[in-house]
Amino acid sequence: MTLPPEVGAEAEAAVPEAVLVGAGATEGRSLGQIAWMRLKRDKVALGGGIFLIFLILLAIFAPLIVKYLGSPPNEFHQELIDTAGGTLEPIGRFGGMSWDHLMGVEPVNGRDIFSRVVYGSRISLLIAFLATLLSVAIGTTLGIISGFIGGWTDTLTSRLMDVFLAFPLLVLAIALAGVFPDQAFGLQGNQLRIALLIFIIGFFNWPYIGRIIRGQTLSLREREFVESARSIGARRGYILRTEMLPNLIAPILVYSTLLIPTNILFEAALSFLGVGIRPPTASWGGMLSDAVVFYTQPHFMFWPGMAIFVTVLAFNLFGDGLRDALDPRANR
Amino acid sequence: MDHSRSWRARGLAAAGVSAALVLAACGGGGGAGGQQGSSNQSTQAAFNAASTGVVSPSDKKGGTLKFANAGDWDTLDPGETYYAYSWNFARLYGRSLMMFKSAPGKEGNQLVPDLAEAPGQASDNAKTWTYKLRKGVKFDDGTEVTSADVKYAVLRSTDKQTFPNGPAYWDGMLNLPSGYKGPYKTPNMNTDSAIETPDKSTIVFHMKQPFAAFDYLAQQPNTMPVPKDKDTGAKYRNSIVSTGPYKFADLQPGKSFNLVRNDQWDPATDPNRKALPDRMEVALNVNADDIDNRLISGDLDVDVVATGVQPAAQSRVLTDPTLKENADNPLSARLWYTSINPTVAPLNNIDCRKAIEYAMDRTAYQTAYGGQFAGGDLATTILPPSIPGYSKFDLFPDGPDHKGDLDAAKKSLEACGQPNGFETNIAYRAERPKEKATAEAFQQALGRVGIKLTLKPYPQGDYFAQYAGLPPYVVKNKLGLALNGWAADWPDGFGFLSQIVDSRVIRATGGSSNTSVRIPEVDKMLDSALTELNTDKRNQMWGEVDKRVMEDAVIYPGVYSKSLLVRSKNATNIMVTDAYGEYDYLGLGAQK
Amino acid sequence: MFGYIVRRLVWAVLLLIVLSMVTFSIFYLIPRLGGATPETLASRYVGRAATAETVHLAAERLGFLDPVPVQYWHWLKGVLVGANYDYGAGVERCPAPCLGYSFITKQPVWPELLDRAPVTISLTVGAAIIWLVAGVSIGVISALRRGTVFDRGAMGIALAGVSLPIFFTGLIALAFFSYQLRITAPGGSYVPFSQNPAQWAYSLLLPWITLAFLFSAQYARLTRAGMLETMTEDYIRTARAKGLPEKTVILKHALRGALTPVLTIFGLDVGLLLGGAVITEKTFSLNGLGKYAYDGIVSGDLPKILGVTLVAGFFVIMANLFVDLLYGVIDPRVRLQ
Repeated sequence: MTLPPEVGAEAEAAVPEAVLVGAGATEGRSLGQIAWMRLKRDKVALGGGIFLIFLILLAIFAPLIVKYLGSPPNEFHQELIDTAGGTLEPIGRFGGMSWDHLMGVEPVNGRDIFSRVVYGSRISLLIAFLATLLSVAIGTTLGIISGFIGGWTDTLTSRLMDVFLAFPLLVLAIALAGVFPDQAFGLQGNQLRIALLIFIIGFFNWPYIGRIIRGQTLSLREREFVESARSIGARRGYILRTEMLPNLIAPILVYSTLLIPTNILFEAALSFLGVGIRPPTASWGGMLSDAVVFYTQPHFMFWPGMAIFVTVLAFNLFGDGLRDALDPRANR
Repeated sequence: MDHSRSWRARGLAAAGVSAALVLAACGGGGGAGGQQGSSNQSTQAAFNAASTGVVSPSDKKGGTLKFANAGDWDTLDPGETYYAYSWNFARLYGRSLMMFKSAPGKEGNQLVPDLAEAPGQASDNAKTWTYKLRKGVKFDDGTEVTSADVKYAVLRSTDKQTFPNGPAYWDGMLNLPSGYKGPYKTPNMNTDSAIETPDKSTIVFHMKQPFAAFDYLAQQPNTMPVPKDKDTGAKYRNSIVSTGPYKFADLQPGKSFNLVRNDQWDPATDPNRKALPDRMEVALNVNADDIDNRLISGDLDVDVVATGVQPAAQSRVLTDPTLKENADNPLSARLWYTSINPTVAPLNNIDCRKAIEYAMDRTAYQTAYGGQFAGGDLATTILPPSIPGYSKFDLFPDGPDHKGDLDAAKKSLEACGQPNGFETNIAYRAERPKEKATAEAFQQALGRVGIKLTLKPYPQGDYFAQYAGLPPYVVKNKLGLALNGWAADWPDGFGFLSQIVDSRVIRATGGSSNTSVRIPEVDKMLDSALTELNTDKRNQMWGEVDKRVMEDAVIYPGVYSKSLLVRSKNATNIMVTDAYGEYDYLGLGAQK
Repeated sequence: MFGYIVRRLVWAVLLLIVLSMVTFSIFYLIPRLGGATPETLASRYVGRAATAETVHLAAERLGFLDPVPVQYWHWLKGVLVGANYDYGAGVERCPAPCLGYSFITKQPVWPELLDRAPVTISLTVGAAIIWLVAGVSIGVISALRRGTVFDRGAMGIALAGVSLPIFFTGLIALAFFSYQLRITAPGGSYVPFSQNPAQWAYSLLLPWITLAFLFSAQYARLTRAGMLETMTEDYIRTARAKGLPEKTVILKHALRGALTPVLTIFGLDVGLLLGGAVITEKTFSLNGLGKYAYDGIVSGDLPKILGVTLVAGFFVIMANLFVDLLYGVIDPRVRLQ
């Protein structure tokens, strides 16, 4: 038996039972197959998914793409900037858009925005994915353990979650990023910075997934099939692995997909604060942060803003579709 | 249902920060603009007219002027304030012994006696200075100002525990008794060895070393008298007693304050001030872009910090002829430069340093700072043109287009044994987008000859204390280059050079702006200039210091700072004073 | 129930202490890992002409020379019973709760917090009401008209709202509506409600709408999803079968069930925002807690940071508590442990 992903389980609530809507056909289909069929029919979610694949390919093949379609991302082109008139704005309309510079150039230094956006996708996606992975890993583990074992472990974990939730994340992020030495743990420079960002974003967001999984586990624990497994004499580990985990995969998957865009926005915000990636490496958040000062040059804000927006949108659409697909209660 | 977990992250995305950070002037007292000007010369409203003349001259009294500050005032307490705009503004509510004349252009650079009747009288080889105070000057509560009040003001400013942020000239140079900790902690110590007040209107200063340019020290706001019985130490900033034509009203710390007429100010004792407006309203912590928009729309009269408009407004002003006509582009006595640290290999070799001097693209430096209008003029000397003693020279010509002489750079690299370039780090203040852009420009330009730079941003609050200004840190972290800037505390060679080329200000514990200049010969030259009472000769000696330091290639001068300022629609008597490189706040009047 | 509340409050106090300790540690201990001494810490708070002696004096005055636990104890004592502040020419009594004096402006922190809190509260509560009403209404209508143009359009816009960074929308809105069209107030024109209610509302109009746009998107989606779920429940069918008017069915029965998660989120959001909507406040030049926190963070002003951390933490904890209690009231299936 499988259960649908739980929805909106914030507090320590025992959630109402779900009614499993049968597949209808005589041959039993696994949830995965049902979900995939549903997903295929959801055009919007599919669109989001396709875009995401496109984005990931873009990030992977960035150097190749930039080689043919743009200029090196850190190269200055001061001849394209209005130095004579003193405004330092790109010459030409839409920020100096041309076949050489598909999205125009940045004010002041004339860097190609297109290649910076393409390279920026790498940073944003890398950090968002890995941070989500970290959050999910910690959150799921702690959520399951605390939900399943209960008692003092549960109370302790819940209180721990409270601390993390109430925490002034901003203070910590700035303080840590500001004070961290340049070389540590065998990494240095931007690599270390990326690792630090992944840590900050991922490590402090685990309570969210943690609470959901905990809620799920709590309700699953009381189910008959778990009880029957116990009565047979199955050990905890076995129950966790074979009974609980498969039922938790759905919510984990869904919330991960929805956590990624949040982390993208989070990284953008941190770059804004100046604790993001070190220049001149491009990142969407960093570009937006630079662009805000030049708000009369809307193209500069537009492209990275659009990149963030479309990516987050795609993740949201796909995630929504995934959730709908995995939720048998949703009437189609 | 929806994923709810995004809240905090979303809240944090909402908690990101708008990057329009205006950095308050890093400068102290002031500098001069190098333009001709004479007072009472009215000029047509044209671009940069106020740098050389007076725009909208008027003697009409009355009206209100609205000021705004993108941040908080460093402090209104004249004993501790240390920013050019604040010294400019302080003349409205305080009278110091000497002051910079309220006049346009170069004339604003002249020192005139304010509280004193005449410039100081030197004796004992310029170690003792005597001033006589004017009669009839009163505090805003009616009590008479005496020399004891001036002495008290100066002494309280030496208490560095209560006032850690102010200039430190007095505590370093006055002949104070040893162990003196200021009037709060050591109230009964006899300080006559430092300052004597033989009678109510005479004050005598005794210095440890000769100081020929003493009148400049006497114009500091910390000589503005403070009544001892109304002094509240660190809280005095909220309840200042005024000696100027205006006094404080409705002071809300961190938010706003107003200046209203001081009825105890007697114009007969004050030939220097016109005091035209009835009222000034100052708003603090206003968004920088807002300030620009309101200046342009006429809802605001003065951006008091005067570092210039933000990039968004900059492009509007420069491309719209009507707006451009109403803007000024003064030079201030500020140099944006980069320190080349000889303590970091291979920059210990002068040729490697010279390679950097030749290879850098100076136009990119200028562009990074905002271009020729909002950034500044290309600099090849340490002294800006507005400082007396400036002479134009260029020891490392960077090519006809000023983008760098790559051949000369490569030759220098060979001479220092690094024909293929080398690697080092460049430090800058993370919160300053212009420094970031400059560091990137360095990276690009020097990369052309194989010098690979890694960018190292540091928080600006600790930049000198713990990073670029901490010698052991510099060596350990190979900070070969450090972005820097300096504005003169006042427009003379000492005011400009003393803190940035004197090796004795470098401390192993950090904190000095001088990160790279350690030349014993220069230290001697600085000292001998201070004994030269003849002003012209003295100024020439400062010029020689400038050249000598440049010969060592330990400083890369970037641009002489300029700012793009928007004139108020409401104000009258708008003029730039070279003393501060800003609008003269003392002279402004208001139409309504 | 009462016991539960008491236990949560005790836990809240404990949590605030933990928060303050952690903030203290970050501030003092992490730089120490990088080799900082009390003097290097103090050097941030002196002017550029400071000598080594001045730095040492500053370290002394700010208490950096004491061991960190001792400094923490002094601070805690100040919060509980008050402290004395030496302003040079005299000593001032800072009554409990004394959250210290700013390292930079030398102003007492607690009065400043009290002064700025109304701004943040005005901003948050106003926006919250707008987004709750707008979001829920749109969500309900969307659910009822599922699949129509309205539904798709509304959800589309909602998705957009959720996907845009607020630093983007805020600045654009200000530049366009306030400066270009001049129909809303420019930044920094806030006045307290007590002074001039009309001007107060006018100055907050754009910030409210901008914030609300961001959040109502979320609420619309949430409400819609919740409604869609509850509308399929048996008890709705029963209500209809009983012959109740459709409006009652929807508003009284369906919405109630759907609102549970909405209210949960609402509480969390309000709590979070009260703790500091830094960017909104910075963009619109509102002198609230968020801006205060930001100023404190960039200038390394520990008393300010501590002050806002506590207040923010307090709001979040209270919001969580309120939501948990509300949850228990609304959904009787929840057992409070």
